[in-house]
Amino acid sequence: AADKIRLIPQDFFAELCEQIIQHLNHKIPGVNTAELCQRIQTSGVDINIGDLAKVANTLSFLFSTAARNNLSTEELVTTLGSGISTLPKHAVQVIRHVWNEQGKAIAVSEDAGNTATVGQFVDMKWKLGVAMSSDTCRSLKYPYVTVTLTVADPSGQITDKSFEMTIPQFKNFFSQFKEMASVLETV
Amino acid sequence: MAALRDGDFAALQILLKAPSKDAVRQLCQECFCSPPAALGPLAQRACPGLAVSAEEAEQLVSALHNLTRHVVFRGLTRAEDILCLFPENFHQNLKNLLTKIILENISAWRNEAQASQISLPRLVDMDWRVDIKTSSDSIVRMAVPTCLLQLKIQEDAALCGNNPVVSALTVELSKETLDTMLEGLGRIRDQLSAVANK
Repeated sequence: AADKIRLIPQDFFAELCEQIIQHLNHKIPGVNTAELCQRIQTSGVDINIGDLAKVANTLSFLFSTAARNNLSTEELVTTLGSGISTLPKHAVQVIRHVWNEQGKAIAVSEDAGNTATVGQFVDMKWKLGVAMSSDTCRSLKYPYVTVTLTVADPSGQITDKSFEMTIPQFKNFFSQFKEMASVLETV
Repeated sequence: MAALRDGDFAALQILLKAPSKDAVRQLCQECFCSPPAALGPLAQRACPGLAVSAEEAEQLVSALHNLTRHVVFRGLTRAEDILCLFPENFHQNLKNLLTKIILENISAWRNEAQASQISLPRLVDMDWRVDIKTSSDSIVRMAVPTCLLQLKIQEDAALCGNNPVVSALTVELSKETLDTMLEGLGRIRDQLSAVANK
């Protein structure tokens, strides 16, 4: 991951570390790698989302291990160990700074929310549409519902998943959710 | 997109050599369902039954494909509209037979066209389970109800051909997130009612 870290400009790297710390602190549901990657690419740096995700995972592991072991800033830097010579200077500076400011505050979590082994639901966006025409039917008038679910996967990366439903499917979807909610109430 | 060409109706008259009305019916259905790329092999299979040359079989199959798809595209549902498509000198009985076959199949064909149009991935299945989290490595004792939802999503059928790719998305929802979701879904339902009433 060290050579990928080299590619990331300092301010984006700092932002990534911030998001990771906030995620570990349960202030945000996850790290928005896709959005960050797009901004980095727009600034002219050629990095792909897979590489950025790997960097995020590595840093997340580093910070969470350090939190669990209650490491001080100097101890953290020592842990980076031999890796330190391959990391660009600005990266080590950022890690040191971020840890100094916020590292101690990462509470060893007392809240039941982080026993995540599956993705955590973050948000849902929807759209109701009518397909008017297509290459197979000039006059379609076919209604459908499009849903985009934003999910934070167990490692904290946020991804979107979009899909379509017919109206009968949507009605079933809705009634299943009402069922789930009522079971959650009574359980 | 199927557009009827001049040579198509001439080619359709090759159907006069078909052994039976059922054979014509069968061929119509196969020609509608087949994507343009598969028309070649279909023609080869149809050849022996019709006792025509390979070239004539290809022209026929292509013409039938164009005719059936054209009718579905235009949304024609009445016999008069379909009969109008044929030129004046077209064989009467064959014209009536083809119109009859098309009318028999038109609504099934239209449904198929709707189902196979391009779209975002589709939801094919949904399973859920409500659990109670009783303990974890950080908390010894708790009783937190949580919901696990698994959505099976199939990629665009048109892109995958006969091997649709289905991916599973497993998500955990707490009571709060579930309520958010329900609120959103309720709004969709309200919109649907509003649109339906227009």
